[in-house]
Amino acid sequence: MENYNTFKQEENILIHTRLLDAPRDLVWEVWTNPEHIKEWWGPNGFSLTTKSMTVEPGKIWDFIMHGMGKDWDNKIEYVEVKKPSLLTYKHSGERSEDYNFTVSILFEDVEGKTLLTMKSVFKSKAIIEELNRKVNAIEGGKQTLNRLENYLKILGNE
Amino acid sequence: MTQTRDIFQAIADPTRRQIIGMLARKSLNVNAIAQEFDITRQAVSLHVQLLNECGLIVIKQQGRERYCEAKLSKLKEVTDWVDQYRKYWDNKFDSLESYLAKIQKKKK
Repeated sequence: MENYNTFKQEENILIHTRLLDAPRDLVWEVWTNPEHIKEWWGPNGFSLTTKSMTVEPGKIWDFIMHGMGKDWDNKIEYVEVKKPSLLTYKHSGERSEDYNFTVSILFEDVEGKTLLTMKSVFKSKAIIEELNRKVNAIEGGKQTLNRLENYLKILGNE
Repeated sequence: MTQTRDIFQAIADPTRRQIIGMLARKSLNVNAIAQEFDITRQAVSLHVQLLNECGLIVIKQQGRERYCEAKLSKLKEVTDWVDQYRKYWDNKFDSLESYLAKIQKKKK
C-alpha cells in the first residue's frame, strides 16, 4: 500500500504529505476558520488568540500564541487562496528576511478523504543548511547526542 | 566551482546509511565493509568515498590498512533543524487528525 504520510527534502523545499480521514471542505475549514485553527495549530501546550483573519490573497492572519509564560506575536500573509484546494502563505516577521519562507498546502480529495501536501519553500538550500547549523550550535550538547544515539541504534538494527 | 557534497544526499542512500551504522559501532576497512554487501568492492568503495567527501566518515591509515571511522559530530546536522521541523509538523498533523475526528463525531 502506498504510504501517504511522508516527508522529504528537495533542494530548498521541505515536503510533507498526510492523508486525513475527513472531507476536503472540512479540512479547508479547519485551516481557515479561527475557531477551528486554534484547536490544533501551534506548539503543544500553547493557546492561541486570533486578532484578525482574512483568508484572501494579500490579507493576513494576525494572531498571538501564549506559552512558556510569554505572548508571541505572529503574522501570516496569504498569497494564494483557492478554496478548497490550495492555500499559500508567507511567514514574515523573522529577524532576517532571509529566513522567511512560503508554505503551500494542497488539499486533494481521495475517495472522500483528504490528501494534504505541504511544501515549505525556503530562499535557498543554503538557508536550510544554515538553520541546521544554528540549531546545532544553540542546542548542542546532550539532547542532540541522545537523539543521535537513538538514531544510530535504529540504523544498527535495520 | 567546487561542488560540496551534501549530507542529505549522503544519507539518502540505504547502503550508505547501513555503512554509517556499521562504522558507528566500530572502525572497519573497506574490505570488511564490502563483505557485508552483495555489491562489488568498487561500489562500496565509491559509497565510502562519498561519505568521506561530505565529512561523515574519516579514513585513517593504520599500518598497511586504511580504516574508516564514523564522524558522528557531522551526523548531528541531519537530526537538527529539518528534523525538528519534520517532527513539529508530524505532531501538528496528529493534532489536526484527532481534532477532525472529534468534530466529525459530534456532527453524527
